[in-house]
Amino acid sequence: MTKLNTTRRTALLGTAGALATFAIGGRAMAQNDPIRFGVLPPLTGAGGPYGPAMLRAIQQVVEEANAAGGVRGRPIRLFFEDDQTNPDAGVRGARKLIDVDRVQALMGTWASSVTTAVAPLCWENRVPLFTVSGADSITLLPHQGFIFRTQPNSRLQIATAGDWLAGKGARRIYHMAAQSPFAQSSQEVLTERMRAGGGVVSGFTIYEREKTAFRSEVDAIMRSRSDTVFLNGYLPDVTILLRELFRAGFDGRRFTMAYAANANTFQALPNEVTNGLITFQPSPDLNSGAFARLKNRFGATEVDPYSAQTNDHATMAILAAAQAGDASGTAIRDNVRRVTQGGGETVDNVTDGLRAITAGRAVNFDGASGPVSFDERGDIQGTKFRFEAAENGSFKLLELA
Amino acid sequence: MEDWRDLAQVLLNGVMAGSVLMLPAIGFNCIFAVLRYPNFAVAGFATIGAFAGWVANAQWGMPAGLALLVAFLAAGAAGLLSEELALKPLRPAGPLTVAIASVALTILLENIIRFSFGNDLKGYDLPILRDWRFDGIRVSPQQLTNTAYAIGAAGALFALLAFTRLGRAMRAVADNPTLADIKGVDPDRIARVAVFIGAGLAGFGGMLIGLDTSIDPLTGFRVVLSVFAAAVVGGLGSIPGAALGAMVVGVGEEMAGVLLEPAYRTVTAFLAILLVLMFRPSGLLGARN
Repeated sequence: MTKLNTTRRTALLGTAGALATFAIGGRAMAQNDPIRFGVLPPLTGAGGPYGPAMLRAIQQVVEEANAAGGVRGRPIRLFFEDDQTNPDAGVRGARKLIDVDRVQALMGTWASSVTTAVAPLCWENRVPLFTVSGADSITLLPHQGFIFRTQPNSRLQIATAGDWLAGKGARRIYHMAAQSPFAQSSQEVLTERMRAGGGVVSGFTIYEREKTAFRSEVDAIMRSRSDTVFLNGYLPDVTILLRELFRAGFDGRRFTMAYAANANTFQALPNEVTNGLITFQPSPDLNSGAFARLKNRFGATEVDPYSAQTNDHATMAILAAAQAGDASGTAIRDNVRRVTQGGGETVDNVTDGLRAITAGRAVNFDGASGPVSFDERGDIQGTKFRFEAAENGSFKLLELA
Repeated sequence: MEDWRDLAQVLLNGVMAGSVLMLPAIGFNCIFAVLRYPNFAVAGFATIGAFAGWVANAQWGMPAGLALLVAFLAAGAAGLLSEELALKPLRPAGPLTVAIASVALTILLENIIRFSFGNDLKGYDLPILRDWRFDGIRVSPQQLTNTAYAIGAAGALFALLAFTRLGRAMRAVADNPTLADIKGVDPDRIARVAVFIGAGLAGFGGMLIGLDTSIDPLTGFRVVLSVFAAAVVGGLGSIPGAALGAMVVGVGEEMAGVLLEPAYRTVTAFLAILLVLMFRPSGLLGARN
């Protein structure tokens, strides 16, 4: 047997040489390497009714950007994982997107619990996270500017809802909240606003939403003699609650978030149960060019506020990378505000934005969800709210506030 | 708790919740009794039953009672098919392997439903009736009907086990498979029957859950923990035990809603398992080994 004459030193040198070749090759490739973006929407679980459309909106923006020549010649490649509306699955998905697919930005997280779990991975790996989650606590995390939230935070949402209800004469509101990161803070805000408006929160229950019956909870609502019940939950549980409130003969005002009662609700419940239900939501900018384009591309599918927001996530990330001339996460983070709230040329789509940036002009992106401008914590500013009432199987606009 | 009516109401709510858990729990124990492994795919079978019943009721216009039969048959067939194709080849590797495979199977079944029907909530074609009130106690006609269906189905199973040749053969295999084999009972055939009935009952129960609420691909998965708790509390492999366990877990969960913060309600299922395993490892009505 011949003895191989390899010393530890030559082996190390060889390895180092091979690695160096790899690295140089990698650098030479980088010019035409695709830019990698990750999407982590809820394709299944409680957010399942929204995730597929959120993903589709992003895919369409990326296709459009690639058709327009990509970011300074570099195509954009999209990777996605299903967060299952579940923090465990969300973290696994984010790990895969960041560690294996090496994405430079992450977008489309929906549930606050998922976003809260995924956020530290993002800032530690210097990957910006664009989200539609509402919990106040999210932008209070030490995220070093890596979180951009296009959804108004829950404090603003609940305060708006509380003021509106008090203005409509609600005096005793029962607050029925699904277990979530914002249940407790919602209760504090609602109590404060009802007191200011001359009413009270007559009862508060945090319930476990993975349940099939809420009879005892509904008994508590009936006992409280409330004129309004605020169903602060998600679609499956709010559907059950609406049914049980009807059965129990609750005749007060029923109020909920629009994500917890939508066209699906009418498939699951007859009109006599849903009629009169009031929903509210941050409204996309229905009159914007960006919204009209998105609506056009979606065809028969209705554009919900989340797909309007993810349309803007993808556009912002692409324009920020183009503006920076560098697709690193830090460069994207540092340029988001430059392309969304500077004084440049107003653009409402990725093609026009890329063209202007390539021509050396400053841009100001106005999206489908609104004028997209962020405060120093990464929270969206200046969103409108839309109040609607269910009437014979569809929602009618009550007020845009 | 303000007066006896509140207590009565909670007990009633618990019995109704328990009666819905009862059938999947019986199905679970029926499979366990004969094959000696926990089949967590009952969650998937419950969802399949709920959707099959929905197709029969909302699409084909069948009345709920008949649609329940469709739910039973469809879930039973799905159970038999997945047992033969996926789980049976793994039996030689031991019950733990089969149990783990059944968890994977339930995820697979859930996603087949998702691909076929989408994520959206669906409701049966039934009028939603206002509750009846008796001296301040609320009774839902739908839940009462569901309880009756559940008791009817469980009763039919007891009759099958007690009075028919097939039932005797099933009990014989559950009791001592070797002896039953010597006596000429084909254990493979009995295993297939047990899986069909077990999965079918899970599907029947799945549709009952749907009749009272709405269905989506997670319908079965949401209750699987409570179903497992009911089976363990009652005694794994014991059919009357599963019925009793379901009542204990149903009433326990409702009582916990009053005594504890509602957010801790799911803990009751774990607590029930823990307490029973500590003081009576074979369950309330389980056979002592």
